[in-house]
Amino acid sequence: MNRKWTRILAIMLALVLLVAFVPGCAKKADPGTTDGGTTPPKTTIKAAMVTDVGGLGDKSFNDGAFQGLERAKAELGVEIKVLESKEITDYESNIDQLATAGFSPIFAVGFLMTDTVSKMSTAFPDVQFGGVDEFFDPVPANVVGLNFKEEQGSYLAGVVAGLATKDKFDSKLNADNVIGFVGGMDIPLIQKFEAGFIAGAKSVNPDVKVISLYAGNFSDIAKGKELGYSLIEQKADVIYAAAGAVGLGTIEACKDKGALFIGVDVDQYETVANSGDVMLTSMIKRVDNAVFETIKAVVDGKFPGGTIKAFGLAEEGVGLAPYHDFDSKIPQAIKDAVEKARTEIIAGTINVPTAR
Amino acid sequence: MLADIITPDLFAAALRMATPLALAAIGGTICERSGVVNIALEGIMLCGAFAGVAVTLATGNPWLGIVAAVLAGVAISAIHAFTSINLRSDQVVSGTAINILALGVTGFLMEIMYGHPGTTDSINTIRSVFRFESNADGGFVSTVWHWINGIFLSHTPIVYMAIIIAFVAQWAMYNTRWGLRLRALGEHPRAVDTVGVSVLKGRWVAVLMSGALAGLAGANLTLEQVGSFTENMTNGRGFIALAANIFGRWTPLGSYSASLLFGFADALQIKLQIFRGQIDIPPQFFLMLPYVLTVVVLAGVVGRSIGPAAVGKPYEKK
Repeated sequence: MNRKWTRILAIMLALVLLVAFVPGCAKKADPGTTDGGTTPPKTTIKAAMVTDVGGLGDKSFNDGAFQGLERAKAELGVEIKVLESKEITDYESNIDQLATAGFSPIFAVGFLMTDTVSKMSTAFPDVQFGGVDEFFDPVPANVVGLNFKEEQGSYLAGVVAGLATKDKFDSKLNADNVIGFVGGMDIPLIQKFEAGFIAGAKSVNPDVKVISLYAGNFSDIAKGKELGYSLIEQKADVIYAAAGAVGLGTIEACKDKGALFIGVDVDQYETVANSGDVMLTSMIKRVDNAVFETIKAVVDGKFPGGTIKAFGLAEEGVGLAPYHDFDSKIPQAIKDAVEKARTEIIAGTINVPTAR
Repeated sequence: MLADIITPDLFAAALRMATPLALAAIGGTICERSGVVNIALEGIMLCGAFAGVAVTLATGNPWLGIVAAVLAGVAISAIHAFTSINLRSDQVVSGTAINILALGVTGFLMEIMYGHPGTTDSINTIRSVFRFESNADGGFVSTVWHWINGIFLSHTPIVYMAIIIAFVAQWAMYNTRWGLRLRALGEHPRAVDTVGVSVLKGRWVAVLMSGALAGLAGANLTLEQVGSFTENMTNGRGFIALAANIFGRWTPLGSYSASLLFGFADALQIKLQIFRGQIDIPPQFFLMLPYVLTVVVLAGVVGRSIGPAAVGKPYEKK
């Protein structure tokens, strides 16, 4: 074949690939930047976040943190910026880039970034860091750990599931006293969800059988669906998933085989289309509140550096989403039981376990 | 306890989980038999998965989505064919580049088409072909019917397509002129060339076919199994498919059987996890099982696998 043509084609192919990549990188880098050119430079707070590998659009905690930033931009007039991590190796360079550009506070979203935040807080002692889901011991003076008492919210989800499986308010509920839990990876963070869920369910339904299955990752949706099928085959009629995108597959299994689902992190009734007829409620984690409150503290000059802030039911850091389509179906007794549990947890009369 | 593990759904799940692996593995088999290594299966599958959802979201018709997934697979594999056959570049490098490209391109397209990366909106998945009622409460006949219905009659179209494709490809590979030429291409391309058959053309067709099959595998994942696309949702299935191809000794039926074994191991570990509460074994142990089984089977049962002699070697006409 004509070698010249081959070579020209090869060069064109390479160019096409280049063109496909370049805008991809540029566009991804800053979806939330304000227009720096028109606003006069003054001493505005420049807040930024680095996402975990799930990135924006995870319909979960990365998006939650971003909502907090956007709210801060709207209400407090701060400048915001987001850098997405595609791989774990991006964490450090992303934080470095933001810190060098003068951003502070910088929110690092996800427990995987803990070590990177520790390291970068020493490298940039004047920059303030917020570590979402990160725990430090000791906490560096320019870092605040933003943690959540997921077990408390999961306890309420457990109360709903434990009572619902005994009830008959929806045709998808069967006579068997079994509920299910789908976890992403078997790590302490996810065990908090599982432990709280089981404790909540057993508190209102001591004989309930809770089956927990783990996917081994947070991204294999097809595996999530299989886990859902297996739980439903075991007669589980209410399933709670704390497994990132894996849970989306579990929702599909619930829709297909007829079971109810409890979402996680955000109100999944809003974020997952066509899920209304299985979405009982969601355990929401108000990452947006935590991020917003921290930025507000920075604006007020009261950055709580050197501490771990734990957002629980009392701080409205976790909670249950509305019941939406099930609101009229769910018996008042279940709603009352949830309220009772909420009050008792806030009052400290119920101590929710954090490990199974 | 055993009755909770050995259920119709265990075998049905094995078939479901084997399907994307098997389609990609058969694609890999055809491709490698022609003498071209295709480690791009993972990336091609991802592109197929994305194209399927994108077209279904745009048109509302999942069947058009399947067609789009296959075409996307063909289009991406054309890059691999061009670089590895015409340009005679290293096939592993070309395949790796496509895997990385697929990750970037799907994420980028999500950004421009839907305004966000991550996960797309969900579509209504393609339902199973048959929807028969059955339950295991009755006597012998109804129990047998329940098992047959559960294992064989509960599936979506591509699951059946994969089985048919495995048999047809196996037959074609050993009983048609195309099959003979395909095998010759991978063993001794010069011999094929000297009888006046184009090596270039034969390899191009094989690579494009593998792209079509990997694209179909992607369609199975998104259009039949989960109903939405998430970045990197193939999760290494393309690489497991490559292993299944080798394990199946470069034959379509072998590839399908190997995929079925991997699927079964995965289904089994899910069922075993149910008893985690009763026996105190960490779930990581169960998650590890499919891979342990793979190692054991590869080391103990298969013995030495010998691939096509000319695989990975670019052909240069003298």
